[in-house]
Amino acid sequence: MTYMIVGASSGLGKDLAHEFASNNKNLILISRDKTDLEYLKSDIILKHKVDVKILPADLSSIDDVENFLRSNEKTFNSLDGLLFPIALMTEKDKVLASSLESKKIIYSNFYSITLLINNTLSINKNKKNITIVGFGSISASIGRHVNTFYSAAKNALETYFESLIITTLNENIKVQFYTLGYLDTGLSFEKKLILPKGSTKKLAKIVFSNLNISGGKFYFPFWWKPISLAINILPFSIVKLIVKRFN
Amino acid sequence: MEKVKIQSLDKNYSANIFVKRPEKYRELKEISDRYEKMIPMGSCSSYVPASFCNDNLSILMTKFNKIIEFDKVNKTITVEAGIKISELLQFTLKNKLWIPQIPGYPSITLGGIVATNAHGKSSAFHGTIRQQIKEILIYHKTHGWLNLSKDENKKIFDLTIGGFGLTGTIVQVKLKLEDFIGYNFKTSLIKTNSLIDTINNFNEENKEVYQYSWNRSDNITNLGKGFIFKNEINSIENSSVDTRGLYHDTNKLESNFKFNLWNNFTIKFSQFLYYNFHLQKKNKIFFENFKKIIFPFSGKEMYFKMFGRNGLIESQIIVPAKKINQIIDEIEFNLKKELPEITLLSIKKIKGECNYLRFENDGFCITFDFVRNKKSLNFMENLDSICQNNQLIPSIIKDSRLRLNTIKICYNAYDQFKKDLNEFDNRRIYRSQLSDILEL
Repeated sequence: MTYMIVGASSGLGKDLAHEFASNNKNLILISRDKTDLEYLKSDIILKHKVDVKILPADLSSIDDVENFLRSNEKTFNSLDGLLFPIALMTEKDKVLASSLESKKIIYSNFYSITLLINNTLSINKNKKNITIVGFGSISASIGRHVNTFYSAAKNALETYFESLIITTLNENIKVQFYTLGYLDTGLSFEKKLILPKGSTKKLAKIVFSNLNISGGKFYFPFWWKPISLAINILPFSIVKLIVKRFN
Repeated sequence: MEKVKIQSLDKNYSANIFVKRPEKYRELKEISDRYEKMIPMGSCSSYVPASFCNDNLSILMTKFNKIIEFDKVNKTITVEAGIKISELLQFTLKNKLWIPQIPGYPSITLGGIVATNAHGKSSAFHGTIRQQIKEILIYHKTHGWLNLSKDENKKIFDLTIGGFGLTGTIVQVKLKLEDFIGYNFKTSLIKTNSLIDTINNFNEENKEVYQYSWNRSDNITNLGKGFIFKNEINSIENSSVDTRGLYHDTNKLESNFKFNLWNNFTIKFSQFLYYNFHLQKKNKIFFENFKKIIFPFSGKEMYFKMFGRNGLIESQIIVPAKKINQIIDEIEFNLKKELPEITLLSIKKIKGECNYLRFENDGFCITFDFVRNKKSLNFMENLDSICQNNQLIPSIIKDSRLRLNTIKICYNAYDQFKKDLNEFDNRRIYRSQLSDILEL
């Protein structure tokens, strides 16, 4: 069985690659960092003895994604699943971010993912079983003064995955979506946060064990579920006051 | 970016620092290019402040932990420097290979082992880690990516091994591996009655047997009584170490109790128990698992925590064989005079050649752990004088209290190290509190 992991070279993507490989799954790893991908490939092959293919691609560039899809059409035929543990955050991501900056963030965190899924489902004419796993962010629960386009893109991604779940209800396609709170990754490493960070290794194990669930939405760490619920229930005028206080 | 408060393992130094943890090669380059002063950090479990400096950036390398190349036939492995020694052994031991120069705690990273020229228990037979290193890849803010080996950038290669991370960030290391046929260790004990008796009972190292002593230090009457432990690989074909036991995810050495719990009574009590427990085992051969022998401090973190907020002083010195009797006399004289509280006294043999600031030479390596108080500090002053008068080698990486003057006298190549380091990096970008103490 072969799984494609998009955004595999670090953080959750790297741990997912190890978790799937340790369960004898072959891998296709995608990231823009070719050097890191090559070293990760060696590491996984030496430790787990599975087949690993690497495909460098930059999801923040739509040209790169389209070229990638054109030149790797056959690759998508053989897939048993796709996972998208990809996240691009930048310091310049604010309401007044440049067009170039906001495009990169939206493409990486939303639009390119939809193109890859679209391509996979279009190719899957034999209606074989495929699992698609997306990863959102708790930051999508409310608009923010930082990571503005990131949270908007993650919000769009969540909505897209809900649509995907509903569209594929009667098909052999299993779709799962994880809303992620703080994780112990490079994105959050130097930040002092009010709640503890979740382990990416632990999440990778959960993702693997949930692969057979159809149409599931999950929160990790779990305490973000009631927090997210509270944000959604409360009137925006109150949420606005709370955010103001914490800022 | 917010600052983090950090301490050396001996609790003698603390600092507020910035920490970045790159995970990709691109990120390491970007971070290094953005900051003016920095130092690489591994597990941050050095006794001395080798991986941090107040208000500076420490580059935490723990996410660089991949195995890049493994050649079972030629017994070589290339790994990223942030790999924990326990992770590396988990892989190599499955292939009946290992590196013998292993420090006593499993979360220590390979980069730290290289930067401190670690020696481990087998130093009398295998020498220090320097003997296993074939190639190193570093990233330096001004020099970029540099391959180092005996054939390429040799001077920087020599400066980097035991160079405290001052030549740049160690990113990859290619190691020569040794055979490890067996799955545990065969241990025997020799009872000794004094420090001199201990020295006389060490065997010549023509066989791969790891010998080290544990000697009583709880009172003058018992001084030096103890045991020589001899660990031999239990060479059984078709067997290998159970590597699951080596898994080590957390570093438990970070925080100590509020108060020091080591005093005359607790030292006497613990040493009495330890001595009498092992007395039952003398003249017997027994088997001990790999982890217990190789990582003696894993699971015994309480030992460090009991030193409290003030921490401990650890001292290691190398004494040439021809001077050992005289030096032990001098040490005993000073111990009787100052009566410091010593929690650990141990001796082992070591071999090597001291160059630059590397802790290695042919002779006996004596290790002390002290409670940090006035009596201990007085004794240590006397020990420094003994080192200076006899050109002994004190370990820079163990004793953060060492004065620059002592280091300059004991390390003949101090000036050469400083000159070569400044020639390579005249802006002195990679700095730690240790390098400031050493005026490098």
